[in-house]
Amino acid sequence: MNLINSIFKICGTTGRKFLKFLSNVGHFFIFFITAIFWIFRPPWYFKKIFYQIIDIGYFSLPVVGLTTFFSGMVLALQTYNGFSELNNETTVARVVLTSITRELGPVLTGLMVAGRIGAKMAAEIATMRVTEQIDALGTLGTRPMQYLIAPKIIASLICIPVLVLLGNTIGILGGYVIAIFKLEFNPSIYLYATVEYLQWIDIIQGTVKAVLFGLIISMVSCYFGFNATKGAEGVGYATTASVVISSVMILTSTYIITALFFG
Amino acid sequence: MDIKLNNKIIIEVKNLTKSFNETMVLNDINFKLFEGETLAIIGASGSGKSVLLKNIIGLLSPDKGSIKINNVEMVDLKRSIKEKVLLDLGITFQHGALFDSLQNWENIVFKVKNKEKLTDKNAKELALSIIKRLGLNSEILDLYPSEISGGMQKRVAIARAICGNPKVLLFDEPTSGLDPVTGSLIDKLIKSAVKTVGGSAITITHDMASVCKVADKVILIDKQTISWSGTPKEMLKSDNAQIKDFIKSTNPKLFI
Repeated sequence: MNLINSIFKICGTTGRKFLKFLSNVGHFFIFFITAIFWIFRPPWYFKKIFYQIIDIGYFSLPVVGLTTFFSGMVLALQTYNGFSELNNETTVARVVLTSITRELGPVLTGLMVAGRIGAKMAAEIATMRVTEQIDALGTLGTRPMQYLIAPKIIASLICIPVLVLLGNTIGILGGYVIAIFKLEFNPSIYLYATVEYLQWIDIIQGTVKAVLFGLIISMVSCYFGFNATKGAEGVGYATTASVVISSVMILTSTYIITALFFG
Repeated sequence: MDIKLNNKIIIEVKNLTKSFNETMVLNDINFKLFEGETLAIIGASGSGKSVLLKNIIGLLSPDKGSIKINNVEMVDLKRSIKEKVLLDLGITFQHGALFDSLQNWENIVFKVKNKEKLTDKNAKELALSIIKRLGLNSEILDLYPSEISGGMQKRVAIARAICGNPKVLLFDEPTSGLDPVTGSLIDKLIKSAVKTVGGSAITITHDMASVCKVADKVILIDKQTISWSGTPKEMLKSDNAQIKDFIKSTNPKLFI
């Protein structure tokens, strides 16, 4: 009897958790559709969009630049060590270029921005929620989705692709620095190989990922912030959840897009 | 009991019931607010006063009942129409709810600036004229809410509510956390704001001195419903145990 009760209890708990998960997915979907609607509906708060672009784009550039620069350097060094029989300019240049433009550039940029901007967005909106600022907005003739959420999504969709392109360039530069100054490759041959192997499909695929990551980071962060409850604890939860879920979604979606383009 | 200063009903709440999950917070609430009248809602902490206010301004939906503002039924009203009705209301929240990312002057003129497309210069002048009435220094205009004291934040929130001279003012504990002098100033301001625009107000408070100064009518919320209503003078003579406890705490006779 005890065993049956325990099984029922486990099934009940699992079922409740699964229903909660489905309910959250449904809520997120509704939030997503509503946010998309408000992106296209005037008036647009250009001043707020501009500030978000500065915050997401300009202030994220140092951390994205550093991450991709050192990743390019590590990649060049490891490729040289790993492919010792083929350690010529073209192999290293090709591996660095392909890895950076297809995967490392977009993914590292996405993860860095999710950590820096996603956390900030979620914390800011969650604080506004728990201190009734979002309620106040609604009573002052301003729609919170349009005033708070839409500018963040628009700015993310503009900035993250640009950051990825810049991150890619800086990453390739990192590989170039190691190849030329440490491995003493011929600069002309290395550069020629890099340009020769550069393909439009890599840039397009990287840009598609960047746009998707921009959408993931802004939507997930705004969703958790907007639905925060329980005061300071709720702000903490919203911040953590936004970073963790954004990062998991970035890593999952990068595989799906790679499989679609090259699978 | 209805004390009609004017026959026009500004807010009418009928049979309002609100629960959260299984917990009933408000049950069968009925009252009317007439033009030119100030209504004070009193009750113990957690009695549902703020929930009632949030139902009136549409932040919560009642389970049952009707809420009319200026004869417009607010329950299940289309969002765009509800927003237009709310634009005629000035509301202060319990903790101020000022926007952290905006300077104080931007907070004060937030609604009016968007509505009337004011320039920054004109908007700032408007904010200055309002804060002077509230006894605030012009220097606070360029500061952010986090850079001023709690009492000042409260006054900036009130400035935001009265900016644009709305005909209906709703205050959620406007004097809590303020020193007696500032509290008294806020009471005078609520009274003058209502008088100046010929408007009406609802104030939620625990401060019985404030009730006696500003209110024409008082309702007590207890055990999910309105357990007592009357004028401030009737309140002072009331035998209701909870009212007596409230009065004992602040002795409002000293203030009227």
